[in-house]
Amino acid sequence: MKSWISFLLPDDEYKEKRVLYFFAEGGILLLFTLVGLLILNNYFHLDAETALLMAIAVFLIYVTGRYTLSGIEYTDIATVGAYSKELRHIMFKTSSFAGIFILLYLVFIGVPSSQNEWIDIIGILVVFSLFWFLTNYISLKRSYKKNKELL
Amino acid sequence: MKNKSEILVNNIVVLRAENKWTQKYVAEQLGVTRQTVHSLEANKYNPSLILAFKISKLFGKEINEIFTYYE
Repeated sequence: MKSWISFLLPDDEYKEKRVLYFFAEGGILLLFTLVGLLILNNYFHLDAETALLMAIAVFLIYVTGRYTLSGIEYTDIATVGAYSKELRHIMFKTSSFAGIFILLYLVFIGVPSSQNEWIDIIGILVVFSLFWFLTNYISLKRSYKKNKELL
Repeated sequence: MKNKSEILVNNIVVLRAENKWTQKYVAEQLGVTRQTVHSLEANKYNPSLILAFKISKLFGKEINEIFTYYE
């Protein structure tokens, strides 16, 4: 089937079908969230930006969470050696992400001028890097467990 | 709406054992992941028609010798 969403989907048809389900489930949840927020808006004053961010977060967290926990990302990791190698690769990717992030920040925003600004930027960097690492680590762990069971 | 009583079962695991092939080998030949082969063998996933034909070609059997449909 031809669809513009194809570029977001894996080549393997089983993985493709599962990811499509995650997107569809996320879409339905997003619809419910928006309807819920619309109803709540009649009783409480909701800030538009907060409401929109909440809706986006629901979709992203759901789809990413389902994909991470499904154990379908690392289909070839079934041995201790391959697991350790991939873990090292994830650590390298996380370090690269942190390096690029700080570099782009320094280039486009500039060098932080006060201690508070340094704390802010390091805080954001730590949170994002930790999130990046943990998502990949959990996905790897789940995939490894699943693949080992298939051996 | 999907009818829950419709079942498609296959004997890929038997054919694979007869040929002494590993899941990895079958996956490579079909161009899918080992998880897909496992899901097919466990009848947890119904393949597309294209994949079903590839499976049929790989094992040298007719599709209905590999897959059986029950209502």
